Amino acid sequence: MNHAIQMPQKPRINPALVTGLLPFIVVLAAWALAPLFSDIPAYKLPSPAKVWSTFQDMLLSGSLISEVWASLQRLATGYILGNLIAIPLGLAIALNRAVAETLTPVLSFFQSIAGIAWVPLAIIWFGVGGGSVLFVIVNTIFFSSIYSTVIGVQSIPPVLYRAAQSHGASRWDVIKTVVIPGALVQILVGLRTSMAYGWRALVAAEMIAGTNGIGYMTLEAVQWYQTEIVVLGMILIGVLWLILDRLLFVPIERVTVRRWGLVS
Amino acid sequence: MTNSTNNLPNMRGRPLVSTAQWRGTLGVVSILVAWQFSVWVIALPAYFYPAPKDVFSAFIELMQKGILLEYLSDSAVRYSVSVATGVGFGLTFGLLIGLSRFWSRLLGPIINFFYAIVEVAWIPLLVIWIGYGFNTIVIAIAYVVFFPVLYNTLTGVQTVKLVLINAMQTLGATRWQVLVTVIIPSALPNIITGFRVGAGFAFRGLIFAEMIAAGSGIGFLIFDGSTTRQTDRVVVGMIMMGVMWLLIDRLLLRPVEQATIVRWGLVRNQGGNT
Repeated sequence: MNHAIQMPQKPRINPALVTGLLPFIVVLAAWALAPLFSDIPAYKLPSPAKVWSTFQDMLLSGSLISEVWASLQRLATGYILGNLIAIPLGLAIALNRAVAETLTPVLSFFQSIAGIAWVPLAIIWFGVGGGSVLFVIVNTIFFSSIYSTVIGVQSIPPVLYRAAQSHGASRWDVIKTVVIPGALVQILVGLRTSMAYGWRALVAAEMIAGTNGIGYMTLEAVQWYQTEIVVLGMILIGVLWLILDRLLFVPIERVTVRRWGLVS
Repeated sequence: MTNSTNNLPNMRGRPLVSTAQWRGTLGVVSILVAWQFSVWVIALPAYFYPAPKDVFSAFIELMQKGILLEYLSDSAVRYSVSVATGVGFGLTFGLLIGLSRFWSRLLGPIINFFYAIVEVAWIPLLVIWIGYGFNTIVIAIAYVVFFPVLYNTLTGVQTVKLVLINAMQTLGATRWQVLVTVIIPSALPNIITGFRVGAGFAFRGLIFAEMIAAGSGIGFLIFDGSTTRQTDRVVVGMIMMGVMWLLIDRLLLRPVEQATIVRWGLVRNQGGNT
């Protein structure tokens, strides 16, 4: 089991709703009441009511939906594209020891500069806009996924290959029955990790190179001191991520990893 | 499996440079060669696609002016301060929440909520509140490190074998002794895992924060090079970023792992990057 790249575990917390809600109430109250007790200017701390009404306005005008939709579409495209290239390539690389050893340093080097660092170069190559953002997401997801795929294959105990081969398995049989199932846990970890990296990269890239999307909306508002949009953007980024993570990965993990007893 | 070829053996009879290292070097060299060749083939302006030669001379120039070292040390200071802060808070709250049902119920939900708001989203607001510079960056990056350390500490604390705690208590240990001699040591592998995940996220976060909220540092170098069309500097910055991460990995993360997890035989080291 590779503990190094596992996502942080969620704590198991008893649904003690009342105690759990208390800090939210305190934070909200402090947020709402802070202007009364201090001289924080309104542009620095918009009231919850103002953020809420901005939310309603933007929802009704449809601008919010279109920003969110632009972001999600980009994330989905980048995620599918990145993983479609990364996983087969990762499997192919890892199946040949020589190739894996040749490429591992290059991959880990590129992995360490993957993502946001490519934004400026992407702007030079593709100009400001969706193209640059997509390039950065694909890049981030590709290097995150390919690395965990390679590690997944490399962590299969060699004895399993020998056992399969000594029972007369063909190369294809070995791939089907040893390599893919053996690397699956790592690949799934990679899928989840790459989504987390991809999401950060999406928001970050939109802030620097975007012309629309939720990240663009949030940073653009800073220039005009529209702090209510900044706060709204932050909350949305959080809520969207929670939805993505819960809807996509918690069920996938339950169905595959836990069911097969691959992860405790 | 050591397939030693005709490399120079050292005193223990092992090759000085393993096959894997030869192959790895080959991979790096071929990328550089391919890069240089593609520059000749594509023949685009240097600002669009700089050659290794351009990048190297930009590197020399930045070194001579002392800019690069200054930026590197700025980034390194920001990184270490924020990682240390994040680990400190993460560990404290992880232990607090892990050990007390009350604190777990109180803080669990709100921490889960804030975990979803990635640091990237905080940077615009921090810029409005605090302005550009050191404090904004350190808060944002410490924030990234906080969560993985906290969650992993929590997992570690929750999986401590109860029988060990009971044994200690039977022998008359105080709460403090139980914490120091049982709970923290057995949670340590998880804590280290959290540290590693956090350190990885923090490094990317740092580069991004420097692009938006700093006037120095490697992230700023990459970003500034692009706005002034000095693409060779952008590439120098990116390579420096990779080198910096490798240094962090080799000099900080692996030794810590070696000293704790691997040495105690708790986890097999597979050298995964986060």
